[in-house]
Amino acid sequence: MAGLPSDLPEDEAEALENGKVSDLTLVQNAQRDDVGAYDELVRRYQERIYATVYHMTSNHEDANDLVQETFIKAYRALKTFKGDSSFYTWVYRIAVNKTINFLKQRKNRLHMSLNDVDFNAENDPDLVALVSEKTPRRDLNMAELQDKLNGAMLKLSEHHRMVVTLHDIQGLSHEEIGEIMGCNIGTVRSRLFYARQQLQAYLTDYLK
Amino acid sequence: MNSDPKEFDTLRKLMALKRHEQPPREYLDELSHSIRMRIERGEGRANIWDKLSAHFSLRPSLAYAFGLTVCGALSFSAFYMGKQEMTEAADSSGSGTFRAVPVSAFPSQVQPVTPLHVANWLRNTNPSVESQPQLSLFNTSRQVVPVSYQTGY
Repeated sequence: MAGLPSDLPEDEAEALENGKVSDLTLVQNAQRDDVGAYDELVRRYQERIYATVYHMTSNHEDANDLVQETFIKAYRALKTFKGDSSFYTWVYRIAVNKTINFLKQRKNRLHMSLNDVDFNAENDPDLVALVSEKTPRRDLNMAELQDKLNGAMLKLSEHHRMVVTLHDIQGLSHEEIGEIMGCNIGTVRSRLFYARQQLQAYLTDYLK
Repeated sequence: MNSDPKEFDTLRKLMALKRHEQPPREYLDELSHSIRMRIERGEGRANIWDKLSAHFSLRPSLAYAFGLTVCGALSFSAFYMGKQEMTEAADSSGSGTFRAVPVSAFPSQVQPVTPLHVANWLRNTNPSVESQPQLSLFNTSRQVVPVSYQTGY
Protein backbone atom coordinates (compact mmCIF):
# COMPACT_ATOMS: atom_id res chain seq x y z
CA MET A 1 0.00 0.00 0.00
CA ALA A 2 2.95 2.26 -0.63
CA GLY A 3 2.18 5.77 -1.72
CA LEU A 4 -1.29 5.87 -0.21
CA PRO A 5 -2.19 8.07 2.75
CA SER A 6 -2.08 5.97 5.92
CA ASP A 7 -5.21 7.50 7.47
CA LEU A 8 -7.51 6.16 4.75
CA PRO A 9 -9.98 3.44 5.79
CA GLU A 10 -8.91 -0.04 4.70
CA ASP A 11 -11.78 -0.30 2.23
CA GLU A 12 -10.97 3.08 0.68
CA ALA A 13 -7.27 2.31 0.37
CA GLU A 14 -7.91 -1.08 -1.21
CA ALA A 15 -10.35 0.43 -3.68
CA LEU A 16 -7.86 3.15 -4.67
CA GLU A 17 -5.19 0.54 -5.16
CA ASN A 18 -7.42 -1.53 -7.42
CA GLY A 19 -8.61 1.53 -9.32
CA LYS A 20 -12.18 0.98 -8.12
CA VAL A 21 -14.54 3.41 -6.49
CA SER A 22 -14.66 2.60 -2.77
CA ASP A 23 -17.83 1.51 -1.00
CA LEU A 24 -17.73 4.67 1.09
CA THR A 25 -17.73 6.92 -1.97
CA LEU A 26 -20.55 4.93 -3.53
CA VAL A 27 -22.54 5.13 -0.28
CA GLN A 28 -22.02 8.89 -0.10
CA ASN A 29 -23.19 9.28 -3.70
CA ALA A 30 -26.17 7.00 -3.07
CA GLN A 31 -27.07 9.07 -0.01
CA ARG A 32 -27.41 11.98 -2.46
CA ASP A 33 -29.98 9.91 -4.39
CA ASP A 34 -27.55 8.62 -7.02
CA VAL A 35 -29.30 5.35 -7.90
CA GLY A 36 -26.42 4.38 -10.21
CA ALA A 37 -24.00 4.40 -7.29
CA TYR A 38 -26.35 2.25 -5.27
CA ASP A 39 -26.73 -0.11 -8.20
CA GLU A 40 -22.97 -0.61 -8.17
CA LEU A 41 -23.12 -1.47 -4.45
CA VAL A 42 -25.90 -3.96 -5.12
CA ARG A 43 -23.85 -5.62 -7.86
CA ARG A 44 -20.87 -5.90 -5.54
CA TYR A 45 -22.69 -7.68 -2.74
CA GLN A 46 -25.79 -9.30 -4.18
CA GLU A 47 -24.06 -12.62 -4.78
CA ARG A 48 -22.88 -12.98 -1.19
CA ILE A 49 -26.15 -11.77 0.25
CA TYR A 50 -28.08 -14.09 -2.02
CA ALA A 51 -25.89 -17.04 -0.99
CA THR A 52 -26.45 -16.33 2.71
CA VAL A 53 -30.20 -16.01 2.37
CA TYR A 54 -30.41 -19.03 0.07
CA HIS A 55 -28.44 -21.26 2.47
CA MET A 56 -30.76 -20.13 5.26
CA THR A 57 -34.03 -20.72 3.40
CA SER A 58 -32.99 -23.47 0.94
CA ASN A 59 -35.53 -21.88 -1.33
CA HIS A 60 -34.71 -19.94 -4.45
CA GLU A 61 -37.93 -17.90 -4.65
CA ASP A 62 -37.80 -16.90 -0.99
CA ALA A 63 -34.13 -15.98 -1.32
CA ASN A 64 -34.92 -13.85 -4.38
CA ASP A 65 -37.67 -11.94 -2.55
CA LEU A 66 -35.63 -11.49 0.60
CA VAL A 67 -32.56 -10.20 -1.26
CA GLN A 68 -34.66 -7.63 -3.10
CA GLU A 69 -36.35 -6.57 0.13
CA THR A 70 -32.98 -6.33 1.87
CA PHE A 71 -31.47 -4.00 -0.71
CA ILE A 72 -34.60 -1.85 -0.90
CA LYS A 73 -34.73 -1.56 2.86
CA ALA A 74 -31.02 -0.73 2.92
CA TYR A 75 -31.59 2.01 0.33
CA ARG A 76 -34.39 3.50 2.43
CA ALA A 77 -32.20 3.43 5.53
CA LEU A 78 -29.06 4.58 3.74
CA LYS A 79 -29.29 8.09 5.15
CA THR A 80 -28.97 6.62 8.65
CA PHE A 81 -25.75 4.82 7.68
CA LYS A 82 -22.97 6.69 9.46
CA GLY A 83 -20.07 4.53 8.35
CA ASP A 84 -19.36 3.07 11.80
CA SER A 85 -19.06 -0.31 10.15
CA SER A 86 -18.46 -1.25 6.54
CA PHE A 87 -21.40 -1.09 4.15
CA TYR A 88 -20.93 -4.79 3.60
CA THR A 89 -21.41 -5.61 7.32
CA TRP A 90 -24.32 -3.20 7.56
CA VAL A 91 -26.24 -4.65 4.64
CA TYR A 92 -25.47 -8.16 5.85
CA ARG A 93 -27.03 -7.27 9.19
CA ILE A 94 -30.22 -6.15 7.46
CA ALA A 95 -30.30 -9.37 5.42
CA VAL A 96 -29.71 -11.54 8.50
CA ASN A 97 -32.47 -9.83 10.53
CA LYS A 98 -34.89 -9.99 7.63
CA THR A 99 -34.18 -13.66 6.97
CA ILE A 100 -34.46 -14.69 10.62
CA ASN A 101 -37.77 -12.82 10.96
CA PHE A 102 -39.03 -14.45 7.77
CA LEU A 103 -38.07 -17.92 8.98
CA LYS A 104 -39.73 -17.36 12.35
CA GLN A 105 -42.96 -16.29 10.66
CA ARG A 106 -42.97 -19.22 8.25
CA LYS A 107 -41.68 -21.91 10.53
CA ASN A 108 -44.17 -24.47 9.32
CA ARG A 109 -44.01 -23.62 5.65
CA LEU A 110 -40.39 -24.33 4.88
CA HIS A 111 -39.84 -26.26 1.71
CA MET A 112 -36.85 -26.72 -0.50
CA SER A 113 -36.73 -25.47 -4.05
CA LEU A 114 -33.41 -26.35 -5.57
CA ASN A 115 -34.18 -26.70 -9.25
CA ASP A 116 -33.00 -23.22 -10.17
CA VAL A 117 -29.71 -23.45 -8.38
CA ASP A 118 -26.68 -25.14 -9.91
CA PHE A 119 -24.69 -27.53 -7.76
CA ASN A 120 -21.38 -28.04 -9.53
CA ALA A 121 -19.42 -29.78 -6.84
CA GLU A 122 -18.42 -32.87 -8.81
CA ASN A 123 -14.87 -31.68 -9.33
CA ASP A 124 -14.30 -30.31 -5.88
CA PRO A 125 -11.22 -32.03 -4.40
CA ASP A 126 -12.92 -32.14 -1.01
CA LEU A 127 -15.81 -34.09 -2.46
CA VAL A 128 -13.48 -36.49 -4.23
CA ALA A 129 -11.72 -37.04 -0.92
CA LEU A 130 -14.97 -37.46 0.95
CA VAL A 131 -16.29 -40.01 -1.47
CA SER A 132 -13.31 -42.29 -1.01
CA GLU A 133 -13.36 -46.03 -0.79
CA LYS A 134 -13.79 -45.84 2.96
CA THR A 135 -17.00 -43.92 2.62
CA PRO A 136 -20.08 -46.11 2.67
CA ARG A 137 -21.79 -43.57 0.38
CA ARG A 138 -19.63 -44.04 -2.73
CA ASP A 139 -22.77 -44.17 -4.80
CA LEU A 140 -24.09 -40.83 -3.68
CA ASN A 141 -25.05 -38.41 -6.37
CA MET A 142 -24.96 -34.66 -6.32
CA ALA A 143 -28.70 -34.14 -6.06
CA GLU A 144 -28.94 -36.51 -3.12
CA LEU A 145 -26.03 -34.87 -1.34
CA GLN A 146 -27.49 -31.43 -1.91
CA ASP A 147 -30.80 -32.65 -0.58
CA LYS A 148 -29.22 -34.17 2.52
CA LEU A 149 -27.11 -31.11 3.29
CA ASN A 150 -30.05 -28.75 2.95
CA GLY A 151 -32.31 -31.06 4.94
CA ALA A 152 -29.77 -31.16 7.76
CA MET A 153 -29.41 -27.37 7.68
CA LEU A 154 -33.16 -26.89 7.93
CA LYS A 155 -33.23 -28.95 11.12
CA LEU A 156 -31.04 -26.38 12.89
CA SER A 157 -32.48 -23.35 14.65
CA GLU A 158 -32.28 -20.07 12.71
CA HIS A 159 -29.37 -18.73 14.73
CA HIS A 160 -27.36 -21.94 14.54
CA ARG A 161 -28.02 -22.21 10.83
CA MET A 162 -26.94 -18.63 10.32
CA VAL A 163 -23.63 -19.16 12.10
CA VAL A 164 -22.85 -22.28 10.06
CA THR A 165 -23.80 -20.47 6.86
CA LEU A 166 -21.64 -17.46 7.58
CA HIS A 167 -18.66 -19.39 8.93
CA ASP A 168 -18.44 -22.80 7.29
CA ILE A 169 -20.02 -21.94 3.96
CA GLN A 170 -19.18 -18.30 3.43
CA GLY A 171 -15.92 -18.25 5.31
CA LEU A 172 -16.52 -15.20 7.50
CA SER A 173 -14.52 -14.77 10.68
CA HIS A 174 -16.00 -15.08 14.18
CA GLU A 175 -15.54 -11.32 14.66
CA GLU A 176 -17.43 -10.47 11.47
CA ILE A 177 -20.23 -12.86 12.38
CA GLY A 178 -20.46 -11.33 15.86
CA GLU A 179 -20.75 -7.88 14.34
CA ILE A 180 -23.36 -8.99 11.80
CA MET A 181 -25.47 -10.93 14.28
CA GLY A 182 -25.07 -8.44 17.11
CA CYS A 183 -23.54 -10.90 19.59
CA ASN A 184 -20.13 -11.51 21.08
CA ILE A 185 -17.51 -13.90 19.78
CA GLY A 186 -18.11 -16.37 22.61
CA THR A 187 -21.74 -16.72 21.55
CA VAL A 188 -20.68 -17.21 17.94
CA ARG A 189 -18.24 -19.95 18.94
CA SER A 190 -20.74 -21.78 21.14
CA ARG A 191 -23.47 -21.61 18.50
CA LEU A 192 -21.05 -22.92 15.91
CA PHE A 193 -20.03 -25.78 18.16
CA TYR A 194 -23.59 -26.91 18.91
CA ALA A 195 -24.65 -26.48 15.30
CA ARG A 196 -21.77 -28.65 14.10
CA GLN A 197 -22.56 -31.28 16.70
CA GLN A 198 -26.13 -31.48 15.45
CA LEU A 199 -25.09 -31.54 11.81
CA GLN A 200 -22.62 -34.29 12.54
CA ALA A 201 -25.43 -36.36 13.99
CA TYR A 202 -27.72 -35.71 11.02
CA LEU A 203 -25.04 -36.40 8.42
CA THR A 204 -23.37 -39.30 10.13
CA ASP A 205 -23.60 -41.53 7.01
CA TYR A 206 -21.52 -39.09 5.02
CA LEU A 207 -18.90 -38.50 7.65
CA LYS A 208 -17.66 -42.02 8.37
CA MET B 1 -16.46 -26.50 23.67
CA ASN B 2 -12.75 -27.17 23.96
CA SER B 3 -12.94 -29.71 21.23
CA ASP B 4 -10.24 -30.94 18.98
CA PRO B 5 -10.01 -28.50 16.07
CA LYS B 6 -9.91 -31.48 13.70
CA GLU B 7 -13.10 -32.91 15.19
CA PHE B 8 -15.29 -31.18 12.66
CA ASP B 9 -12.85 -31.12 9.74
CA THR B 10 -14.82 -33.52 7.57
CA LEU B 11 -18.07 -31.81 8.39
CA ARG B 12 -16.61 -28.43 7.48
CA LYS B 13 -15.44 -29.79 4.14
CA LEU B 14 -18.85 -31.25 3.51
CA MET B 15 -20.61 -28.00 4.38
CA ALA B 16 -18.19 -26.04 2.22
CA LEU B 17 -19.50 -27.98 -0.76
CA LYS B 18 -22.62 -25.88 -0.49
CA ARG B 19 -20.58 -22.99 -1.91
CA HIS B 20 -21.11 -24.65 -5.25
CA GLU B 21 -24.84 -24.04 -5.04
CA GLN B 22 -25.00 -20.87 -7.08
CA PRO B 23 -27.64 -19.25 -9.20
CA PRO B 24 -26.91 -18.72 -12.91
CA ARG B 25 -25.06 -15.49 -13.81
CA GLU B 26 -28.08 -14.10 -15.71
CA TYR B 27 -30.16 -14.43 -12.59
CA LEU B 28 -27.90 -12.06 -10.66
CA ASP B 29 -27.98 -9.49 -13.49
CA GLU B 30 -31.75 -9.67 -13.42
CA LEU B 31 -31.79 -9.34 -9.64
CA SER B 32 -29.86 -6.06 -9.57
CA HIS B 33 -32.02 -4.79 -12.43
CA SER B 34 -35.22 -5.60 -10.50
CA ILE B 35 -33.91 -3.84 -7.40
CA ARG B 36 -33.00 -0.74 -9.41
CA MET B 37 -36.42 -0.70 -11.11
CA ARG B 38 -38.21 -0.98 -7.77
CA ILE B 39 -36.17 1.87 -6.30
CA GLU B 40 -36.81 4.07 -9.35
CA ARG B 41 -40.53 3.31 -9.09
CA GLY B 42 -40.41 4.96 -5.67
CA GLU B 43 -40.25 1.92 -3.40
CA GLY B 44 -36.94 3.19 -2.07
CA ARG B 45 -38.47 6.30 -0.55
CA ALA B 46 -38.44 6.17 3.20
CA ASN B 47 -41.38 7.29 5.33
CA ILE B 48 -41.21 7.98 9.04
CA TRP B 49 -41.99 4.38 9.94
CA ASP B 50 -39.20 3.13 7.65
CA LYS B 51 -36.74 5.46 9.31
CA LEU B 52 -37.83 4.27 12.74
CA SER B 53 -37.74 0.62 11.79
CA ALA B 54 -34.32 1.08 10.20
CA HIS B 55 -33.03 2.34 13.53
CA PHE B 56 -34.83 -0.45 15.35
CA SER B 57 -33.61 -3.29 13.18
CA LEU B 58 -30.04 -2.16 13.58
CA ARG B 59 -30.37 -1.43 17.30
CA PRO B 60 -32.92 -3.83 18.82
CA SER B 61 -32.33 -2.29 22.26
CA LEU B 62 -33.74 0.96 20.88
CA ALA B 63 -36.90 -0.90 19.83
CA TYR B 64 -37.32 -2.37 23.31
CA ALA B 65 -36.77 1.03 24.90
CA PHE B 66 -39.30 2.62 22.54
CA GLY B 67 -41.85 -0.13 23.26
CA LEU B 68 -41.37 0.23 27.00
CA THR B 69 -41.77 4.01 26.79
CA VAL B 70 -44.99 3.72 24.79
CA CYS B 71 -46.42 1.08 27.17
CA GLY B 72 -45.40 3.17 30.17
CA ALA B 73 -47.01 6.30 28.74
CA LEU B 74 -50.24 4.41 27.97
CA SER B 75 -50.39 2.78 31.41
CA PHE B 76 -49.70 6.08 33.12
CA SER B 77 -52.36 7.94 31.14
CA ALA B 78 -54.93 5.15 31.77
CA PHE B 79 -54.12 5.16 35.48
CA TYR B 80 -54.18 8.95 35.68
CA MET B 81 -57.52 9.22 33.84
CA GLY B 82 -59.07 6.54 36.05
CA LYS B 83 -57.88 8.31 39.13
CA GLN B 84 -59.20 11.64 37.89
CA GLU B 85 -62.63 10.12 37.18
CA MET B 86 -62.78 8.64 40.66
CA THR B 87 -61.88 11.97 42.19
CA GLU B 88 -64.60 13.74 40.18
CA ALA B 89 -67.13 11.10 41.18
CA ALA B 90 -66.21 11.45 44.81
CA ASP B 91 -66.53 15.24 44.59
CA SER B 92 -69.97 15.12 42.99
CA SER B 93 -71.50 12.37 45.13
CA GLY B 94 -69.97 13.47 48.37
CA SER B 95 -69.44 10.01 49.70
CA GLY B 96 -67.28 8.56 46.99
CA THR B 97 -69.07 5.20 47.24
CA PHE B 98 -71.26 5.69 44.20
CA ARG B 99 -70.31 7.23 40.91
CA ALA B 100 -72.53 10.12 39.95
CA VAL B 101 -72.95 10.20 36.20
CA PRO B 102 -74.37 13.41 34.80
CA VAL B 103 -77.52 12.93 32.76
CA SER B 104 -76.05 15.01 29.97
CA ALA B 105 -73.54 12.22 29.39
CA PHE B 106 -76.30 10.06 27.88
CA PRO B 107 -78.44 12.39 25.73
CA SER B 108 -80.10 9.51 23.88
CA GLN B 109 -81.45 8.10 27.11
CA VAL B 110 -83.02 11.36 28.27
CA GLN B 111 -86.75 11.34 27.57
CA PRO B 112 -88.62 14.64 27.14
CA VAL B 113 -90.91 15.24 30.04
CA THR B 114 -94.45 14.79 28.79
CA PRO B 115 -97.72 14.89 30.67
CA LEU B 116 -99.07 11.61 31.84
CA HIS B 117 -101.57 10.19 29.36
CA VAL B 118 -104.36 8.39 30.96
CA ALA B 119 -107.07 6.25 29.45
CA ASN B 120 -106.26 6.75 25.77
CA TRP B 121 -107.35 3.16 25.37
CA LEU B 122 -110.90 4.11 26.43
CA ARG B 123 -111.37 6.19 23.33
CA ASN B 124 -109.43 4.21 20.76
CA THR B 125 -109.77 0.45 20.56
CA ASN B 126 -108.11 0.08 17.18
CA PRO B 127 -104.47 -0.86 17.86
CA SER B 128 -103.33 -0.04 14.31
CA VAL B 129 -104.38 3.56 14.59
CA GLU B 130 -101.95 5.45 16.60
CA SER B 131 -103.68 7.83 18.84
CA GLN B 132 -102.42 11.33 19.17
CA PRO B 133 -100.94 12.04 22.49
CA GLN B 134 -103.38 13.86 24.63
CA LEU B 135 -102.71 16.44 27.15
CA SER B 136 -103.17 15.55 30.68
CA LEU B 137 -106.69 15.09 31.93
CA PHE B 138 -105.85 17.32 34.76
CA ASN B 139 -105.42 20.93 34.19
CA THR B 140 -101.97 21.54 35.45
CA SER B 141 -102.53 25.29 35.58
CA ARG B 142 -105.09 24.93 38.36
CA GLN B 143 -103.98 25.43 41.83
CA VAL B 144 -104.57 23.05 44.58
CA VAL B 145 -107.28 24.24 46.94
CA PRO B 146 -107.70 22.70 50.37
CA VAL B 147 -110.91 20.75 50.57
CA SER B 148 -113.22 20.70 53.49
CA TYR B 149 -115.28 17.59 54.10
CA GLN B 150 -117.45 19.20 56.69
CA THR B 151 -121.02 19.96 55.68
CA GLY B 152 -123.65 22.29 56.87
CA TYR B 153 -121.45 25.22 57.54
